[in-house]
Amino acid sequence: MEDHDLLLKFADPASRNLAFNQLVRKYQQRVYWHVRKMVVSHDDADDLTQDVFVKVWHNLATFRQDAQLFTWIYRIATNECLGFLQSKRRKFFLPLTDVSAELAAQLSADPGLAENEVELKLQQAILRLPDKQRLVFNLRYYDEMPYEQMAEVTGTSVGALKASYHHAVRKVEQYVTNADTPATG
Amino acid sequence: MNTPFRLDQHPRRAQPPLSDPPPGYFDRLPIRVMARVSAPAAGRPAGLGWAGWLGWLRHAPAGLRTSLVATLLLSTFAAAHWLSSGPELAASTPAASPLTSLDAVPRAQLVAYLLAPETPLEAADLAATAHQLGLTRQFLRPSPRELTETLDGQPAEEGAAL
Repeated sequence: MEDHDLLLKFADPASRNLAFNQLVRKYQQRVYWHVRKMVVSHDDADDLTQDVFVKVWHNLATFRQDAQLFTWIYRIATNECLGFLQSKRRKFFLPLTDVSAELAAQLSADPGLAENEVELKLQQAILRLPDKQRLVFNLRYYDEMPYEQMAEVTGTSVGALKASYHHAVRKVEQYVTNADTPATG
Repeated sequence: MNTPFRLDQHPRRAQPPLSDPPPGYFDRLPIRVMARVSAPAAGRPAGLGWAGWLGWLRHAPAGLRTSLVATLLLSTFAAAHWLSSGPELAASTPAASPLTSLDAVPRAQLVAYLLAPETPLEAADLAATAHQLGLTRQFLRPSPRELTETLDGQPAEEGAAL
C-alpha cells in the first residue's frame, strides 16, 4: 500500500488501527536495522524500535506531506537513537570512549562477527566514531541514502554531511590499518 | 609495514554482519506496538499518577530535571537533619514546664546544688524562680508586715542595686 493511502486510512478513525498496523509492517525492518546499527544490542534496538512507532502513532496526524513518510520516520528513529546513547552516557557519567567500548564488546560477542576478523575491526572502527558521524556513515555506506535525503533526516546541510562522511571514512581506514600493528613494549 | 585498508576495496554489505533478531520477531513486533498504542486509550488517562509524572519528567528539559533533583536532595537532607535533632530540640524548647524539668532532676542532686557554697542563691534567683513557678501568689502570700521586715533586712548594697 502506498504511503498516501496509508495516511488517508489513518486519518479515518474507523480504519486507523488497520492502517497503522500496515505501516508498522511496511517499515519495521528498516527502522529496526537503522536503530540496531547504532545501539548494536538487539534488546535495546527492540525497545527503541517500539518507541519510534509509538511516537509515529502519536504524531502521524501532524505529519505534513512535504517530506517522504519514511524520511520522517527515519528522523524520529535517529533522534531516539541519539537521545538513548546520550542518556546512557549521562546516566552512568561515562565518557564517549566508554560507551563505544561497551558497544564494541557487544559487537565482539555477536556470533555474526566471530569468524570475520577484518569485518570485526571495521565494525569496531565504526563504533569509535562520534554518534552523529557514525549515523552519517551508516546512512551513506550501508543504506546508500542520497545526501539530500540524509540532510532531511539529520537536519544538516549537504556540504557538512559530505565532509563528515569523508572524515569518517578516513578515520575508519586509519583505525583498521593500525589495528593490525602488533603491540610493542 | 601494514597494508593500508581501503574501504572502497572492501566488499560492501547491505547491513553490518550482526546476528539476526529472534525467529518470528518481525511477525510479533506489529502486535506489540499496537498493544502499546492502544493501552493508554483503554486504560486511565495519560499524565495521572506516578507513571504519568515520570513520563513528563523524562521529557522535561535537562536543566529542569537537574533543579528538581537538587531540590529533592536538599529537602531530604533537611528532613533527615530535622528528624535526627527533633528530640534535642523538644527538650530544649522553652515550652517545657519548669516544674516538669525540675521533677526530672534527682532530689539528692538538687539538695547538693542548693547546699554547695560556690553557688549561693541570690534574692533575684528566688524571685525569678518563684515567679516562673507561680509560687508567689499560691505559697508565699506575704503580709505587708513580713514584706517590710524582709526588705529592711536586705543588705544596703543589694538594696542600692535594686
